[in-house]
Amino acid sequence: MSAAETRQGAEGDVSLSVDRVVKSFGDARAVDDVSLKVRRGEFVTLLGPSGCGKTTLLNLIAGFLAPESGEIFIDGAPISGLSPFERNIGVVFQNYALFPHMTVAENVGFGLKMRKVGKAEVERRVQEALEMVRLPQMGDRRPRQLSGGQQQRIALARALVIRPQLILLDEPFSAIDKNLRAEMQVELKTIQRQVGITTIFVTHDQSEALSMSDRIAVMSQGRVQQLSEPIELYRRPANSFVASFIGEINRLACTRRRDADCVLLEHGAVRLRLPAARVPGEGTGDSMLYVRPEALRAVDPGTPEANLCDGTVDAQVYQGTHVDLIVKADNGWLLRVREPGFDALERWPVGARLGVHADLAEACVY
Amino acid sequence: MAIDGRRPTLLPWFIAPAALVAMLLVASLAMLFQYSFRAHLPGTLDVGGFTLDNFQDLGKWLYLRVFIDSLVISAWTAGLSLLLGYPLALALVRCRSPWLKAAILIAVIIPMFTGDIVRTYSWLIVLGTRGFINGSLLGLGVIDAPIPLLFTTTAVVVALVQYSLPVIVVILSAAISHIDSDYEKAAASLGAGPLSVLWNVTLPLSMPGILSGTVTIFAWTMSAFATPQLVGGGKVNMVSNMVYHLGFASFNFPFAAVLSMVSLLLIMMVLALLGLWLRRLERRGFAG
Amino acid sequence: MRLADRLARPVFVAIVALVLAFVTLPSLVVVVVAFGDKSIMMFPPDAWSLRWFERALTYPDFRKGMVNGLYISAWASLLAVAVGTMGAYAIDRFRFRGSALLESLLLSPLVIPHFTLGVGLLILASGLGLSRGYAVVVLCHLILVVPFVMRSVYVSLKNIDPMLERAAASLGARPLTVFLRIHLPLLAPGLAGGWLFAFILSFNEFTATLFVTNNTTQTLPVAMYNYVREYADPTMAALSALLIGITALFLVVANRFLGLDRILSIGSHR
Repeated sequence: MSAAETRQGAEGDVSLSVDRVVKSFGDARAVDDVSLKVRRGEFVTLLGPSGCGKTTLLNLIAGFLAPESGEIFIDGAPISGLSPFERNIGVVFQNYALFPHMTVAENVGFGLKMRKVGKAEVERRVQEALEMVRLPQMGDRRPRQLSGGQQQRIALARALVIRPQLILLDEPFSAIDKNLRAEMQVELKTIQRQVGITTIFVTHDQSEALSMSDRIAVMSQGRVQQLSEPIELYRRPANSFVASFIGEINRLACTRRRDADCVLLEHGAVRLRLPAARVPGEGTGDSMLYVRPEALRAVDPGTPEANLCDGTVDAQVYQGTHVDLIVKADNGWLLRVREPGFDALERWPVGARLGVHADLAEACVY
Repeated sequence: MAIDGRRPTLLPWFIAPAALVAMLLVASLAMLFQYSFRAHLPGTLDVGGFTLDNFQDLGKWLYLRVFIDSLVISAWTAGLSLLLGYPLALALVRCRSPWLKAAILIAVIIPMFTGDIVRTYSWLIVLGTRGFINGSLLGLGVIDAPIPLLFTTTAVVVALVQYSLPVIVVILSAAISHIDSDYEKAAASLGAGPLSVLWNVTLPLSMPGILSGTVTIFAWTMSAFATPQLVGGGKVNMVSNMVYHLGFASFNFPFAAVLSMVSLLLIMMVLALLGLWLRRLERRGFAG
Repeated sequence: MRLADRLARPVFVAIVALVLAFVTLPSLVVVVVAFGDKSIMMFPPDAWSLRWFERALTYPDFRKGMVNGLYISAWASLLAVAVGTMGAYAIDRFRFRGSALLESLLLSPLVIPHFTLGVGLLILASGLGLSRGYAVVVLCHLILVVPFVMRSVYVSLKNIDPMLERAAASLGARPLTVFLRIHLPLLAPGLAGGWLFAFILSFNEFTATLFVTNNTTQTLPVAMYNYVREYADPTMAALSALLIGITALFLVVANRFLGLDRILSIGSHR
């Protein structure tokens, strides 16, 4: 069952539901009135800077913390009265938390033993789980004899072998080499899809979130700022926080006013006209225009193609697959224009005059 | 880190035995407190009714003298232990060969594990009239007749310093090993020689350890018994010796209780002062 | 480099060597004297013999004190491990009402003078009509060594990843199971060190023991103290030499298998 199919499912297919949950530490509200629903089999990422409340939310779901108010439902049943050991949730920890005094097989079998599963059955399921994570020979080893990536997979096997209703992953890749990380991400995603288990993934790494998730909940200051699919999140950020947090973006100051069914944006000599539907809110006054570097293109100055502004190249930043031109616009804006390849290095040297073309369909105003 | 909110139902069973031990301790201190207000009936083990006389006796020169002697001996012991212990602790931390390090460590802490009596007895042999020092000096012809070394305050302090060294070395080396060696490297790169680094960087940064080590030894020495009892031989008396004498020679347990209480209070006060001092150091940026 | 700095190293090494000599000298002198032949102790001995070792090992008070000491220390240290482990675990993991008070009471014997405690326990025991029996001595030692066990538990707990508890709980382990299957096995080496330390301290404890023992319950240090006050022959030196030798052996082995640093982090403050 693919995630896309699941998405078509009815309300009854909600696996995890967080309903108006609040948790404070002292005066600080770590989780502030958060609600979200996760469908069965869905891979949802909690993304945000450190201190945004994502880990607290994860701990609330796992039962390591108790909410002050609100309720959490799994498969429709409230669980806040249950201790962690009474819930049926698999957790993969940032440092894996493998029991150092047990073998790999004992680690993986621990949850089954707690469930009083028979010895033969434990053995069979442990072996099955080890095969699933492609480490069938490692049962007799101790955790410290394994590499980081292997420990990671054992932790995953240990969490999945109990056939939980939900699996929680707390920054599982942060302790792994960058090279291995991409490989592990693909593998995790494959296993998750195979098993079809509902997954909550916590990370502060946006590229990880964008590449793995069915949906992403961007969190800040204890609140979910936006919960949507990765493409939507990137192209249509719901507010200025999401816009600035995800990917690189140009923030251009301007004043706005309503003009018939359009909104007029002005800064210095620059005037832009956007359909009102693209601009949330009614107000007039100071605004920010958000536009990604790849939605901008360098063109000859003064031409109609240069629909955003004219300016001068201030610096070139070569990035391998592309060149970023730092442009000082005549009206004072400082922009980053992304040109694919490396031709731009020669064509737009530092000090050259240029015009900037913007794909305004990709721009947002807040 | 425990898990939020829920307490295991078995928790009381974990606490109960510890609470019983704590209660036993409280009960014996309470008895001490109670006895200090009871009249001494000479010649018996029984005690009389409520009285404050025991506390008046505290002001007598004989007892005041014992307290003053104890404080002086403790101060000397603490100071000398620091002076001798610091180089040893520094050597222990800086020593690169693990073999040598272990050897130094074991040599230093053997006295800690052999107990009061063996340690103190050793000093009787070292300082006795036919002991190591007199024997060696006589053998070398430096002196003609043995010089009296035992039963002096100096002898007691010397023995107490040896007794305290393991403890202060352990405390000091813990403090020194917590100093980030980058500070020392930074000072050296700025032109400070080894002595200057020691004086300007290492010593000030180990201040919390120096303070708590010295005060710990001071408080500990205040309660020393075996060393002044044997090495002092009745000529040098600390509070503990007086308490023992009062208890087992005069059976004056009420007054022994008073002295015990007062020395406990003194030690508590010293340690409380240390706590305040350490907190002030910490506020000034020294690692705790 | 200035002259002072160039001299610093050799001077430092010399100072360290002198202090080391000062610390170890008494033990070495005792060992030498123990092999003397004369019935009065003297240095250097003019004739050599092993007879004082024989006497040390056969002297009835020492034998009795040894047996009493082993018996009392075994009970006190084992009880201390049980009480201290459970208490420290409960205090560290589950802050409860009064846990701070309980903790400071249990750790307070580290700063209470042993004679104060000895007198207090003696008065308490006689007030309760208990004679100076073994139980009083065991309880006295229990109070004195519990702090060391608790320290070792705290140190070991600090080295246990708190996430292990959460991992076990998420896999369905109840708190008691977490204690028995996760924490206790991981605490075991630290507890072994704590027990060893408690046993040695209890076996050597003298001051408080002197107050709470009598002729039948006296431990080895008390028997040795009484011997020193009556006799001046090298029997005590022989016994001390034996104890020093055993202790040294013990420390070397402990260093090899447990790491002295670990044991010392327990005893770092007294």
